[in-house]
Amino acid sequence: MGNVGAVFLFEWRRSLTLPRMAWWGMLAAFPVFIVALIRFTAYRSPPPSNWTWLFFALVPMLVSMLGTLLWTTPAISAELERRSWVYLAVRPNGGTAVLLGKYLAAVTWVIPPALLGLSIAVPLADTGDSWRIWWTMVRLLCLSCPAYGAIYLLLGILLPRRAMVLAVAYTLIFELVIAWVPAVINKLTIQYRLRAILVQWCDLSDIAVRPSGVLALIGDDPAWQHVVILMLIPPTLLLIAVAILRWSEFSASAESDV
Amino acid sequence: MIELQNVTKLYGKVIGVNDFTLKLGPGAYGLLGPNGSGKSTLLNLITGQLRPTLGTVRVMGQSPRNNAELFRRLGYCPGSEGLYASVSGYDWVRYLQQLQGMTAGEAQAAAAEALEMVGMAQAMHRPISSYSRGMRQRTKLAQALAHRPDFLILDEPFNGLDPVGRHELTEVLRKWIKHGKSLLFASHLLHEVESLTQSFLLICGGRLLASGTAQDVHAMMVGMPNEVALRCNDPHALASLLLREHAADSVRIEDSLLTVATQQPGRLFEQLPGWLKTSGLQVSEMHSADESLQALFNSLMKMHRGEL
Repeated sequence: MGNVGAVFLFEWRRSLTLPRMAWWGMLAAFPVFIVALIRFTAYRSPPPSNWTWLFFALVPMLVSMLGTLLWTTPAISAELERRSWVYLAVRPNGGTAVLLGKYLAAVTWVIPPALLGLSIAVPLADTGDSWRIWWTMVRLLCLSCPAYGAIYLLLGILLPRRAMVLAVAYTLIFELVIAWVPAVINKLTIQYRLRAILVQWCDLSDIAVRPSGVLALIGDDPAWQHVVILMLIPPTLLLIAVAILRWSEFSASAESDV
Repeated sequence: MIELQNVTKLYGKVIGVNDFTLKLGPGAYGLLGPNGSGKSTLLNLITGQLRPTLGTVRVMGQSPRNNAELFRRLGYCPGSEGLYASVSGYDWVRYLQQLQGMTAGEAQAAAAEALEMVGMAQAMHRPISSYSRGMRQRTKLAQALAHRPDFLILDEPFNGLDPVGRHELTEVLRKWIKHGKSLLFASHLLHEVESLTQSFLLICGGRLLASGTAQDVHAMMVGMPNEVALRCNDPHALASLLLREHAADSVRIEDSLLTVATQQPGRLFEQLPGWLKTSGLQVSEMHSADESLQALFNSLMKMHRGEL
């Protein structure tokens, strides 16, 4: 664990550069900008349930997905491209430490700007139900970031040479398309779980009581079940990622995986 | 210390290492071969970065693959650069020592000591992006030495170093060897290896061509074609004479210098004075082109390629 901590701290120190801090600021500003745009340009303020869906789409979905995609997907591929992987891999359990340390650094790097953006955007929206929306989004954020981070990390290890392409393809196909298919397959997506929790925690009963197709989009499982599944996803995927990493061969001389 | 048993490594259809069998005890060894000869693949196998397609690799009696215990005793300086531009040399070496299992305090002390050892004390707090190539090489070496491994593996460690830097690092490594530590040193330059050890492994095309000391390889060369250079007043006449006497397999003339390839150098040296006396030719200079290890290396490479 000491090694993981060393990687975590090293990665955090490396992240304190101007370009990366600019990204941090952009992630924080993004929900604020969108909410301000709606708040000050819309003819009439949207109803609270619409605000809830908007915050859901902006923070636990977009900011969380974008932040973790940018940070965890290239965790290993960046080291391979830079040819720095070999220095890490010849340390005792070095590969595993780098993987887990970078994952933790990424998750803890993405949550603060999302939280900051949320904390500014929710009062700005003035929904009348600010506290509940804020608290729900914070909890969803804390569930979504680790889950998305683990997925992107795994995808990055599966195909290091095309890590970003694979991650973007996964996001578009699974999280943005299949997640909205009213069939059992949408249960494989993170978004389905988050959406189901949102509906229950925010008591969006006007949607929940609608029959057939809508039910397939949110399911009827209790919220705790989705929470447990979302909490189990990161350790499960990280274990798989570590196993793949230990099995894989990354040749320094070939500058690529072989 | 290292044992490879019929090790073959394939990258698809390309052979990286071909049926490599080797057993090395503790000590210092030079791994010599031209670029693309399989040196780095071999080192990747020894450091556990690659799995052999066939055969077994053992280092200090253990499989090197994902072996944390072995990695504590191993120091590796790869040929590739791979340093983080924005961090300082000190921070990078310290970070790698923490990954090695040291506490933050131990890692700080080890990093500072190793960087001082390789002559980087003055520049170690500067970002790596500001380093010259030689400074980066020194920093790379420091990260391999800092945890005081029992076995040090270096892949082309002198790349980019100026002569002074080479000398300084050679001294560091000589001291290392004197302390009874083991070293495997890969290079494509003979003089680099010779400056550190007389035990060497010569590889080409992923195969082990020769191993042992320079004397061992000289013994292997008995009966092999040697090249002899002769400076003569009439090189064409001398060439004609040697071919007529079947003392030369081939000849090459550049100005007054005649280079003769022969499988019977002993006979040539023995009978040449008599031939010169009867022909009236004068030789002002004669030397074997095969006296250095470089020549042995060249000859073995030619043999391997079927040119001799």
